[in-house]
Amino acid sequence: MPPKAVHSSSASPTDAFTSLWKAYNDNTSNRLKFIDVFLFFLMLSGIVQFAYCVLVTNFPYNAFLAGFSSTVGQFVLAASLRSQVNPENKDEFREVSPERAFADFALGSIVLHFFVYNFLG
Amino acid sequence: MFSFRRVLFLAAGLASLVGAKSSTGNSVLVVVEPKRQDDFSIFYDGLRDQGYELTFRAPKDESPPVIEYDEAKFAHVVILASETKNFAKDITPQSLISLLDLETNLILGLSTKQTPLASLAPEFSLILPPPGTPLISYFPKREESPSLIPITPSKYDATEILNKDLPPVWFSGVPHAFGNNPLLVPILHAPAESFASEVDGGSADALVDAAEKGGEGLWAGSQLGIVTGFQALNGARVTWLGGVDLLTDELAQREVSNGVKSGNAQFARNVAAWTFKESLVLRIDKIEHHLVNATGPNEVYTTNDQLVYSIYISKYDPQKATWEPYSGIKDLQLEFTMLDPHIRSSLPPVPGAPGKYSTTFRAPDRHGVFKFVVDWKRKGWTYLHSSTTVPVVPPRHDGYPRFLSAAWPYYAGAISTSMAFFLFSAIWLAGEVQHGNKRAGKAGKTE
Repeated sequence: MPPKAVHSSSASPTDAFTSLWKAYNDNTSNRLKFIDVFLFFLMLSGIVQFAYCVLVTNFPYNAFLAGFSSTVGQFVLAASLRSQVNPENKDEFREVSPERAFADFALGSIVLHFFVYNFLG
Repeated sequence: MFSFRRVLFLAAGLASLVGAKSSTGNSVLVVVEPKRQDDFSIFYDGLRDQGYELTFRAPKDESPPVIEYDEAKFAHVVILASETKNFAKDITPQSLISLLDLETNLILGLSTKQTPLASLAPEFSLILPPPGTPLISYFPKREESPSLIPITPSKYDATEILNKDLPPVWFSGVPHAFGNNPLLVPILHAPAESFASEVDGGSADALVDAAEKGGEGLWAGSQLGIVTGFQALNGARVTWLGGVDLLTDELAQREVSNGVKSGNAQFARNVAAWTFKESLVLRIDKIEHHLVNATGPNEVYTTNDQLVYSIYISKYDPQKATWEPYSGIKDLQLEFTMLDPHIRSSLPPVPGAPGKYSTTFRAPDRHGVFKFVVDWKRKGWTYLHSSTTVPVVPPRHDGYPRFLSAAWPYYAGAISTSMAFFLFSAIWLAGEVQHGNKRAGKAGKTE
């Protein structure tokens, strides 16, 4: 691995991105990639709402807070799920099984959405 | 028994209808020197014809008292003793003011002499010339003395109080200048070519002196009043007569020109009718306020509500002694006030609804304790004042629109996040199952 990295850093930036992308594709399991897709979607959604708030209107403000914090909260929960189910972090989360991690994620999300809808209207 | 009482009530009501032609009462006290009492019989008869009950009293008599047990004994008081310097103890400037506080109407006579009444006049913003200077005019040319003047009411005089086609009025007495008091109601002004001066001798020199000083110190011209009303804020009316001779039989019967009798009798009737609250008397019957398309009033209004305000006004009709709905006010205004008028709107009469004035307006976008205020003060007319307090509150928590089109990106964001969460969970759980099943095969493949 190390020699490869050295080689790509001396090459053009596009090569760096392609090699990063290739390494990600090769070394990440499908389940983590699936979580990453979810995270990416949440990030996009949050950016769109924030841009709308800044460029168009923040009225009604409670709706903006609810919508934006739902994406942020969901992002945080999904990110912690990702770190807990990642096999590389097994040592750190010894007592948390992947099933337990998903149950925590689901419960946290349901509570989050409950608050979001209360605050939205 | 019951019906008998009812008939009694009805009879009493009818009697009062016939008797009282004033809106406030028909008892009149006339304070007059006994030796001049008979000079005013035409004036008395005019009052009696209207249904007034006259009581006479000499200025120094102790009875009947004008105020007894803090109650005004008479509805109206006429003081014709304009040259008397000493009155009984209960007729003083202070007691006359107390009478006004008790809503008693007064007709007060002035003269060239320094009397208690003359010292009271400045309190009503009437500025009298020095004692001993009656109003004098050498025009029009006539046989009478220059201090007896025929005056034709002009358009600057109180046309609403006086009859339209009033013949010239004989006047003899003192004029007065007006102070800066908005409650004054000038009824009759002095003629333009008249002035106040001593009658006998030296007056021409005084005139020349005054003319050289640019008219300074000269009491002259049509700015002077000779009969002036005053309506106190509580509605009591006072009329100051520059001279009581105006009311005498002699001047009432004297001809102003060949075959034309003077207007004095009619003028006295008009002045008494105004002072004793027969004419130009209005009252507010009731007010209403409610939301548009509602019938009853709300205790609380919300900002930006459409409000309807109506006021019902009656005018006193002395002919029938009744209150009749009156739609003749053209300049009534409504103010919706919190410290300042936030809204000031005209209050026009409603066609087809006599006596009703109504307007519709939007409550301001400001909450607080507001007042509907109608405040109409015009010279000669009864003052109309009405103030109704209503709270205006912001919308309740559920009074706002719930879902706004501007917020759809936020709603879509929240909903899509939830949908994505469910989709993610479903696929994740499905993958778990597949993952468990295929773990062995998959592991074999990769390794």
